[in-house]
Amino acid sequence: MTNLVAALAVVLRKELVDGLRDRRSLISVLAPLALLPLLFYVAMDQASESVERARQIKIPVVGMEHARELIGWLDQQAGIEIEQGPDQPREAVRNGDVDFVLVIPEDFAERFAGSETAEVEIIVEGMDRGLDRSVSRVRDLIRGYGRAVADQRLIVRGISPEVARPVRVETLELATQQQRTARLIGFMPLLLVMGIFVGGLQVAIDSTAGERERGSLEPLLVIPAPRLSIIGGKWLAATAFSLASALLTAAMVGIGLEFSPLQRLGLRIELDGGVMALAVAVILPLAFSVTALQMVVATMARSYKEAQSYVSFLMLLPMLPLILTMDSEIEDAIWRLMVPVLGQQQLIQDAMGGEGVALVDFAVTALSTAAFAGICLWLTSHLFRRERIVFGR
Amino acid sequence: MIEVRGLRKCFGDVVAVDDVSFEARNGEVTALLGENGAGKTTTLRSIYGLIQPDAGEVRVDGVDGIAQPQSARRGLGVLSEARGLYPRLTAREHMRYFAHLQGLGRAETETRCEDLVELLGMGDFADRRAAGLSHGENTKVALARALLHDPANILLDEPTTGLDVMSTRAVRELIVQLRERGKCVVFSSHVMQEVAAVSDRIVVVSAGRVIASGTPAELRRSTGLDDLEDVFVALTGHSGARE
Repeated sequence: MTNLVAALAVVLRKELVDGLRDRRSLISVLAPLALLPLLFYVAMDQASESVERARQIKIPVVGMEHARELIGWLDQQAGIEIEQGPDQPREAVRNGDVDFVLVIPEDFAERFAGSETAEVEIIVEGMDRGLDRSVSRVRDLIRGYGRAVADQRLIVRGISPEVARPVRVETLELATQQQRTARLIGFMPLLLVMGIFVGGLQVAIDSTAGERERGSLEPLLVIPAPRLSIIGGKWLAATAFSLASALLTAAMVGIGLEFSPLQRLGLRIELDGGVMALAVAVILPLAFSVTALQMVVATMARSYKEAQSYVSFLMLLPMLPLILTMDSEIEDAIWRLMVPVLGQQQLIQDAMGGEGVALVDFAVTALSTAAFAGICLWLTSHLFRRERIVFGR
Repeated sequence: MIEVRGLRKCFGDVVAVDDVSFEARNGEVTALLGENGAGKTTTLRSIYGLIQPDAGEVRVDGVDGIAQPQSARRGLGVLSEARGLYPRLTAREHMRYFAHLQGLGRAETETRCEDLVELLGMGDFADRRAAGLSHGENTKVALARALLHDPANILLDEPTTGLDVMSTRAVRELIVQLRERGKCVVFSSHVMQEVAAVSDRIVVVSAGRVIASGTPAELRRSTGLDDLEDVFVALTGHSGARE
């Protein structure tokens, strides 16, 4: 047993030193991480800008004189400013001189007075560029005006407005502020999982496929040190890099959040250190199984290059469910807790939603993740016995 | 002392080693002589247990190398066919890594490293990273790595392949020194002159079979030829061994 641990420590130490000296790989991991807060800031800034734009709206109007009453009403609404629209509204919108134009046709007054349906047009091109919020706000306002007028007309004719409104929709927002925040930063688990995958990848490949390709595996295996120690040492070294990378990612996300204009989004970020720490703690055990998986895949590959492409591809597998469920809240399910990555995602969501993490949930996830790592390690040590694997035939 | 009896190994339909038997004694240098692909590497790999033979027996100082490969390896120092180094570690770090893995203590490791640096003339590059080493320097590090634990039995797979004259000479001197210290040395080669220069016993392997074995004198007598190269050509039936 002491033999086993001593040999493992020797391998671990060597792989750590070797990995730290691999400057090029380190930079390839660290450089994108350093950019993370900046990306964060830009994304948040854009989001808050589009929110603000929706709140302060200038409406260029053509044909104001045909609907004085409507325009006057709009002008009184909060955050709305009326201005004279361009003479050639379509061209102006197409050229990007204005984002949209409200056009009131000449027959508006006549039809309105005659209790017919009077039309107005909103001219807009391409609802992207964060415009949809502004346009839908204007549309809602005009509809609201129309409804108010309709109610008056019905009342004048002695009919209850409710007759004309058989169904009414009320939307009740139940999500708490924190849950909304959690959803907004739902990509946090994704980033941490990426940090875990990227961090351990280099050592996992270099110490398996790389070791064979440069011809150092045979001399290593000739030594009567236990295979388990050799594989275990490599695995723990890869895991150490993976953990460091995940912690750095968390720190960078923290820095990004600290300086991002989240308040302008109307979100008070209640992500205190405790919640962040909990989220990170919940996801860290994942590193142990990810590196084990990377090792077994890299060991099976026929060459270093092949190992690199397989292991990179591996990253996509857990990303897929994470990306698909990024915006929506997933329902708690025991099977999900037992699947590495998915389990951690659920726990993080619980942690960030301010609900706390149940110890049982954490235990189930950690255990299943550990079991997964164990299977991968066993497979790797099994592969290291195969002549085809050792000599790369 | 290494004993190999009736060794057989197939890769698919190809019989790489077929009924190979020989004995390598302590204080002697035993050469496995044969062309490329004759089965030398497969034989050596079976001795150090990275290949599981289909039949036969391997004993290293009496330990069953097939049933207990780990125990057998304890008595072996191996320069394998693959002799790659870690480009980011220095020569000395390689030695330390392997010494520690062999279970040597700190003080012992340092003494052994110093001894080997001197023995192999590695002083100039002992603290340089492997990425910048020449082929000869690389081989010396690989040799040092195999000898750290002062094994009683030493297996060298084509130790001089690709080396320049000076490095080849250094390796030969090392083999002779190891013999003088009573070690059992087995090395494989396809170079006749080298085998003639250092070996006490020659095992001639061709197409996976041992076709002759004995001291150089015995081989000359049995074939009636004076020159060992002629002996080899006569035995294998072609001139593949000329270099």
